[in-house]
Amino acid sequence: MKVGCHASSSIHAPRPRQFGDKMSAVCCCAHCDFLSLGMQDDHRLSTSELEKKYGTSIDKGLSSARAAEILARDGPNALTPPKATPEIVKFLKQMIGGFSILLWIGAAFSWISFGIQLAQGVDSAFDNLYLGVVLALVVILTGIFAYYQEAKSTNIMASFSKMIPQQALVLRDAEKKELPADQLVVGDIVEIKGGDRIPADIRLIFTQGCKVDNSSLTGESEPQSRSCDFTHENPLETRNIAFYSTTCVEGTATGIVINTGDRTIIGRIASLASGVGNEKTPIAIEIEHFVYLVAGVAISIGVLFFIISVSMRYKILDSIIFLIGIIVANVPEGLLATVTVSLSLTAKRMAKKNCLVKNLEAVETLGSTSIICSDKTGTLTQNRMTVAHLWFDNQIYSADTSEDQTTQSFDQSSPSWAALSKIVTLCNRAEFRPGQENLPIMKRVVVGDASETALLKFSEVILGDVMNIRAQNKKVAEIPFNSTNKFQLSIHETDDPHDKRFLLVMKGAPERILERCSTIMINGKEEPLDSEKAEAFQTRGKMLNARAPWGRANPDVLSSFCHLYLPENEFPETFQFDTDSMNFPTSNLCFVGLLSMIDPPRSTVPDAVSKCRSAGIKVIMVTGDHPITAKAIAKSVGIISATSETVEDIAKRLNIPVEQVNRREATAAVVNGMELKEMSAEQLDEILREHAEIVFARTSPQQKLIIVEGCQRQGAVVAVTGDGVNDSPALKKADIGIAMGIAGSDAAKNAADMVLLDDNFASIVTGVEEGRLIFDNLKKTIAYTLTKNIAELCPFLIYIIASIPMPIGTITILFIDLGTDIIPSVALAYEKAESDIMNRRPRNKRRDRLVNEQLAVYSYLQIGIMQSVGAFVTYFTVYAEQGFLPSTLLGVRVDWESNAINDFEDSYGQQWTKYQRTYLQWTGYTAFFVSITIQQVADLIIRKTRRNSIFRQGLFRNKVIWVGIFSQIGIALILTYGLGHVTALNFTPLRFQYWFVAVPFAILIWVYDEIRKLLIRRYPGSWWDKNMYY
Amino acid sequence: MATLNEKKTCSERMADFRRFVWNPETKLFLGRSLINWVWISLYYVAFYVVMSGVFALSIYCLMRTINPYEPDYQDQLKSPGVTIRPDVYGSRGLQIYYNVSDNKTWEGLVTTLHTFLTAYTPAAQHLNINCTNNTYFIQETFDGPNKTKLSCKFTSDMLQNCSGITDPTFGYPEGKPCFIIKMNRIIKFYPGRGIAPRVNCTYVGEESRPLEVDYYPVNGTFNLHYFPYYGKKAQPSYSNPLVAVKFLNITKNVELKIVCKIIGAGITFDNVYDPYEGKVEFKLKIED
Repeated sequence: MKVGCHASSSIHAPRPRQFGDKMSAVCCCAHCDFLSLGMQDDHRLSTSELEKKYGTSIDKGLSSARAAEILARDGPNALTPPKATPEIVKFLKQMIGGFSILLWIGAAFSWISFGIQLAQGVDSAFDNLYLGVVLALVVILTGIFAYYQEAKSTNIMASFSKMIPQQALVLRDAEKKELPADQLVVGDIVEIKGGDRIPADIRLIFTQGCKVDNSSLTGESEPQSRSCDFTHENPLETRNIAFYSTTCVEGTATGIVINTGDRTIIGRIASLASGVGNEKTPIAIEIEHFVYLVAGVAISIGVLFFIISVSMRYKILDSIIFLIGIIVANVPEGLLATVTVSLSLTAKRMAKKNCLVKNLEAVETLGSTSIICSDKTGTLTQNRMTVAHLWFDNQIYSADTSEDQTTQSFDQSSPSWAALSKIVTLCNRAEFRPGQENLPIMKRVVVGDASETALLKFSEVILGDVMNIRAQNKKVAEIPFNSTNKFQLSIHETDDPHDKRFLLVMKGAPERILERCSTIMINGKEEPLDSEKAEAFQTRGKMLNARAPWGRANPDVLSSFCHLYLPENEFPETFQFDTDSMNFPTSNLCFVGLLSMIDPPRSTVPDAVSKCRSAGIKVIMVTGDHPITAKAIAKSVGIISATSETVEDIAKRLNIPVEQVNRREATAAVVNGMELKEMSAEQLDEILREHAEIVFARTSPQQKLIIVEGCQRQGAVVAVTGDGVNDSPALKKADIGIAMGIAGSDAAKNAADMVLLDDNFASIVTGVEEGRLIFDNLKKTIAYTLTKNIAELCPFLIYIIASIPMPIGTITILFIDLGTDIIPSVALAYEKAESDIMNRRPRNKRRDRLVNEQLAVYSYLQIGIMQSVGAFVTYFTVYAEQGFLPSTLLGVRVDWESNAINDFEDSYGQQWTKYQRTYLQWTGYTAFFVSITIQQVADLIIRKTRRNSIFRQGLFRNKVIWVGIFSQIGIALILTYGLGHVTALNFTPLRFQYWFVAVPFAILIWVYDEIRKLLIRRYPGSWWDKNMYY
Repeated sequence: MATLNEKKTCSERMADFRRFVWNPETKLFLGRSLINWVWISLYYVAFYVVMSGVFALSIYCLMRTINPYEPDYQDQLKSPGVTIRPDVYGSRGLQIYYNVSDNKTWEGLVTTLHTFLTAYTPAAQHLNINCTNNTYFIQETFDGPNKTKLSCKFTSDMLQNCSGITDPTFGYPEGKPCFIIKMNRIIKFYPGRGIAPRVNCTYVGEESRPLEVDYYPVNGTFNLHYFPYYGKKAQPSYSNPLVAVKFLNITKNVELKIVCKIIGAGITFDNVYDPYEGKVEFKLKIED
């Protein structure tokens, strides 16, 4: 078999890459050896040795039977997903997490008192049994709900990662077959072509112009050529091995599979990354803090009143029952479920905005982000070369670089442009993949390298149907680009049937083209290229360079174009061009024009960066690019703002050595990866502290990890974007790892907390906004929920102290917590931001707590007390109007609850049986319940804002709040009138007027809160503001 | 994902807590300066004073709307409850067990009856008038002293053999015990729609089995002139009319379930939830 190795052609000069260097970055060097050691010597072996080693044949491939054997031995060719927590453990965690443990204690107490009472033969013993069962049910149901929510969000992710099953072209039983890539085994002969993902680690045995993009492995987006030559001792650096999950950019290749699944290089790195443990997210810490707070309040009040009731000579059993009531009243049973729902609603909203959240809690983490370490390529830029500027006729023209260009608007009337466009079109080997005619030009897939693709798309946009133009100008000879001549040349017939001349077109690096030119085209006329004109060209070129300064770093993205019409007499139609002997002129050509290409920033990015800045988020660019390129992009997107200077800039401006510059004056810094290598942690800290605008250039992915750690040492919440496998440790280390959905590797997506579906930096900013909003809204939800807990608790306390008939039952409390209050508290998650939350600094995770003292105190001790007063007024009204005046009620508890008294006298001398009293007590429960519900409507409305007036926020902007209010009242109506005859639920059909007793208190709550907000707005920073703003 | 290490040792936590209680550097007590504590306390004192005021005002307004003579609603009092004396409650309702030969087992029961009837001595009833009409005693105006209404007299001697006057032991040692049945008071309740309601005692579930009972007053009726009741404020000296029942043929050493219902229009005894509405059920066991 012929083993052919062609150098690929491109106007890119392939820059030597330090592959090994990059690799070591992944795995802090101890693992380096492990990676290298793991590699076989396959790259050294000859083809026949390989055939022998793997028992395969290059012509026939493996037999199906043998392949099946190996598959059974090695397992499928797929990465083992990170070990998941067993479902049952996840489920049990939900059962004992949060408040569940308190409720279990409550249930246990209920059952204990049931046991005791049963032994004593008390009639009402079964009430406690039922209460215990209800509490256990509440825990189990909320646990199931939380588990279901979590499972649902995990499923979104799972479905995402299994999008397209990869196929591979395999030689088996001497036949070429399309097989799913996970069926590949060691020894298989696979064929790959441009655009394919490499299906396993492959030792190449035949290549043709093959180039691979190793960015998923090394983070380096420059394509590297692959051949079948053994070029380096290190298997990671030799050219004859292609790695799993990298992509073949162009050309074709055939190779033997040498590693599959987890044994591939990628697989080993992925298993390293999964070693970094997960810890708590900021919101998890906040919720834990809140649970501790509430549990602390519940337990201390419970114990306090247990002691009080025992010392007031209540029976121990009664005291235990009070304790259960106090716990149930204090625990917001529905709240954790509500928080989960709110977070998943936000996650859904973010998914719509292209942020796919893997871990629900990451939603809020993004909101508290204070530093974003962003990649350049693909995230800040469009990740495609685009023609940015043109120079012809001694003039610079700008081209449109936006993502969705359909036309170009610069002046195209000049005959020079006609000549230039022809060269651009003809001297280009890139082609569109067939069958994409209906797609927008910018979205079509091209076979060819980045700059040729850019030129092809550019000419397609302007001229239309490039392939047809090429067909009309038949190519007769071609010299592809190579690194020695640094130009590309082709000779074409012209499309003018009367013009029998051949057209020679050439493109290449400006200095190389210029030295081959003797004339220059100005307005369609050839003029001699004298030294004066050459000078002009030099300055123009510099100007072009200045406009597109990234060109300076990558000179290859500046392309010059020249042409020559070969005289008909010397080169007749039948002339045989020989590209080896070059029997045609390659000098004294006519210079036509110059094009510069860039990877342009995404159009939404500058806006997003400035939003980050006003939001107090530091954007740090981390890139593998050259510092000059990096700085230029940073400037163009605003990561380095127009007015700020680096130390070097100041040195240049003041014309002094860099060492003399006062480092504090420089707001910006561009740090080279080499410098970073030399730095101590303290020096890095200093840079991160002192400079507001930082760009890290020429960095390796391992350095990304160091940068992330540095930022975290500053106490920042760090978001990191990444796409390569090598980024996964940094993604794991970051507070929130963001993987790219399009360019990202599976390993990166696995390690990340969030996947950016459109790879766009601007989507992160919308994510931040959503994250901040949900933090604010969760505060509102919690404030709303905590308030009524006091109104549920006070009845127990007053009942114990004043011995009045029980104002509210434990079951009734559960109906509030898990019935009427659920939808309204979720509705608060839909609340719009009060002011521009992106003008605020990120929250300080140590100081700005979700539930702070002010929130708890204001909810518990002010609004909660007002609600209790309102509910008690209703309670006393009901009892008074039925015959028991408030004064009669005090101290009646023992007689009231006695089964032996069936002629209990009320304030009017009427006598009541036990059941008649109990029914009245249930009516009291219902009235108390209804008053809490009515006042919770007011509470819901005041919680819409924390600072602004409700009228400014608008009562009707958030329609879901109204759904909440109607559901709340609807559920209360159903419970009262629909289920009022089911005695077990302790509701009774309440007289309608009792619904309105608490209305004045609801209004009072609203007015009081408006006054609070008014004073906060009027006197910012005052005592009031400090104590009343939560 | 984030690695936020907030793990602290116990002693660190204690130190943090002590620092929180009293921070000597910033002079903060529980996170606030002393003057700040004074201010916040003053605010809360003021807040709670105002809230108490609001509560007091609400209750005051409530009391202003309340009629002192009768309640606004009697939603739960559609039909009167019935009680019995002596009343000894066991774990499953009324259980009256005694041994005729053992004084101690029934002396308590007898005492209960005597105590109960002290409210019905002529001395206790001297404020009430003698009524003879066998119709409802309707009083539109306040004819009594101090803007009250009149009440009819009910004295224990009306219970004849069960009055405790002729037989201070109420027939307990003979195995023929007296029980006193009382109907609960309900304001402006007209029992029986013009026909005097009466007490009827039977065995539970065996209505046909003869239970020999003497009713006092005759026929075991509550005379209509005791109704309607006008409330404590209008009739401060009102006392419920009573009916005494004396069981004559109680089988000894057997637990008997007896129910005494009040028969009369407007009095229901079929509420499954309320065992004492319109009837009273009890277990009786007399040993010898």
